[in-house]
Amino acid sequence: MLYYIGRRLLQGFFVLLLVLVFTFTLPYFLPHGALNAAYFNCAEHQTKACIDTFANTYGLNQPYFQRLWHYLWGVFIHFNLGLSFKDSPPQITGILRVYIPRTFFLALSAFILATVVAIPLGIYQAWRRNRPADYWFTGVTFMMYATPPFVLGFLMLDAFAIHTFHLPDSPPLGVHPWAMFTDPKGFILPVLTLTSLQIGSYSRYMRSNVIDVLVQDYIRTARAKGCSPRQILMRHTFRNAMTSIVTVLGVSIPGLLAGAVITESVFNYPGLGLIVVQAAQDFDTMVVLGVTVVVTVMAVLGNLIADISLVFINPRIRIMGTEK
Amino acid sequence: MSNSDGTGAPGNFIGPDVPFPGAESSVSSVGEESSFSPSDKVESNFRQGLRVFARNKLALISVYVLGLLVIACFIVPIFWRTNQTSLLQQIGVPQNQPPSLHHLLGTDVNGFDELGRILYGGKYSLTLGFLAGLITIVVGTLYGMISGFFGGIVDTIMMRLLDAMLSIPNLFLIIALVAVFGKSTPFLIIVIGMTGWFLTARLIRSDALVIKNLEYSQASLAMGASKLHVIRRHVFVNSMGNIVTVGTFSVADAIQLLSALGFLGLGIQLPATDWGTMLNEGTQELWNGYWWEVFPVSILFIVVIVCINFIGDAMRDIFEVRLRDR
Repeated sequence: MLYYIGRRLLQGFFVLLLVLVFTFTLPYFLPHGALNAAYFNCAEHQTKACIDTFANTYGLNQPYFQRLWHYLWGVFIHFNLGLSFKDSPPQITGILRVYIPRTFFLALSAFILATVVAIPLGIYQAWRRNRPADYWFTGVTFMMYATPPFVLGFLMLDAFAIHTFHLPDSPPLGVHPWAMFTDPKGFILPVLTLTSLQIGSYSRYMRSNVIDVLVQDYIRTARAKGCSPRQILMRHTFRNAMTSIVTVLGVSIPGLLAGAVITESVFNYPGLGLIVVQAAQDFDTMVVLGVTVVVTVMAVLGNLIADISLVFINPRIRIMGTEK
Repeated sequence: MSNSDGTGAPGNFIGPDVPFPGAESSVSSVGEESSFSPSDKVESNFRQGLRVFARNKLALISVYVLGLLVIACFIVPIFWRTNQTSLLQQIGVPQNQPPSLHHLLGTDVNGFDELGRILYGGKYSLTLGFLAGLITIVVGTLYGMISGFFGGIVDTIMMRLLDAMLSIPNLFLIIALVAVFGKSTPFLIIVIGMTGWFLTARLIRSDALVIKNLEYSQASLAMGASKLHVIRRHVFVNSMGNIVTVGTFSVADAIQLLSALGFLGLGIQLPATDWGTMLNEGTQELWNGYWWEVFPVSILFIVVIVCINFIGDAMRDIFEVRLRDR
């Protein structure tokens, strides 16, 4: 098991390396290459002096490989993500320390809520498939899936923040992570928006997985030997369907974070998503890189956790390398 | 594969070949008006598929709705002209007018006629979604088939690359790419297409892995067929079901992704527009009570996405041979 985790982490490390090199190289395709940021920041007076000073300050004049090596060394050895061109103080690690907990909390609560709602919903739909209840719920979840998150967010704001209930229109903003808990009501709308987006896709996966399980022979056998529907659902169907849904949940983390980008901009909640959009528009490439690192690490870890928890859910799965 | 029961729907009942994105290119060329007569014992695969499709009422309705929308977006503007491209002509035109007889759905923040705007934006949304979906499916299929068929070190390298791509949330990747390379429409199509194929490739690869070890592929190889031939005639043809299904879904995903980009201001730029950008502009006006700028286009948007997904579901049923009654 440890061997497997180690191997997966190593794999994740190479994935991260690849992503980093790719994203690091991207700005070199801009009009002025790596110096683009310098030209952008010296917009008013593009004198040679200004550009040179800027480039020297951030080491943009160095050769590509030297910069890359510096950057990778900093990331992997010192956990130092470099300097932002815009913000002050410029240490990206410090900047992200403020934003990561926000996005993480938002995404995690939406994830948990969506899982808790979508899995029973999917099972119920599969159980009553092609009956009115199934059609109604399929319709509703399809709508949830199809509505663009920003439209849903704005409609919710309009309805529940302005016309009724008067919920706060933005989650509490504070520099410290615990500031999130000063006004929990502020999270209701953003979390609901992000959740409903996820419920749509999760419950559809769950429904089709459960249907796949329900046509298996062992379900028929279970029914034949007199199991109650409840027993069939909980003992035979649920555990078998969980295998694939857990994989899907693991893979869905990048999508969840992408949804968080939209949700954050609707509710004006500066998290990873909002700053990456801003940074991309300001050509603040190091911030984009830093966020990419964080997000990739989250995705890789999420995948790993999903794969490991599979072993506990389904004892038939043997991890490669642990067998004799 | 035989149509043994005489009670099955006769072939002419199936209905016309209606255009719908995603499946059109791959299926309709099989020759639907072939010489079918009731005496034919063997029903062609395609016909059988159509029968399964037609039994799915939701999918059938979706096809009609989409067909209607395509006609509305591409043909109606030819006859019913509204200014949608010249901001200069909009100077002095009253903005944000509520629906009236003159403007059936009112006007938007620039004074453009909202109904005409929806049709005009739909042209962009549908075309872009279709083309991006096409890129997705072509690239994903090629990548997946090559990776799955050749196996070994090629497969390992290609799959690790894919893992790397998959773990970048694709919106983040697109934001970075659009920020670097600009916002032109062809580039948007390419970016959305090129960032959507990762899951497709994985699915097709798993198909290719299975098919290449089946007896007919092995026999073909043993008889001296080239690898290209086996890929083309066996692997490709037999994973067609998944390809078409995933292709349908990816059209919907592309349209949604485009709308997200429109919201972030990275999508299609004024005066051109798509539904996502329109929704973004509309929702900014929601506080003023300009409902006509939000609800018609959002309902249309949701309907299109839901329709495409229904069609995709029906496609899956068609190719799911287990579900066919024979």
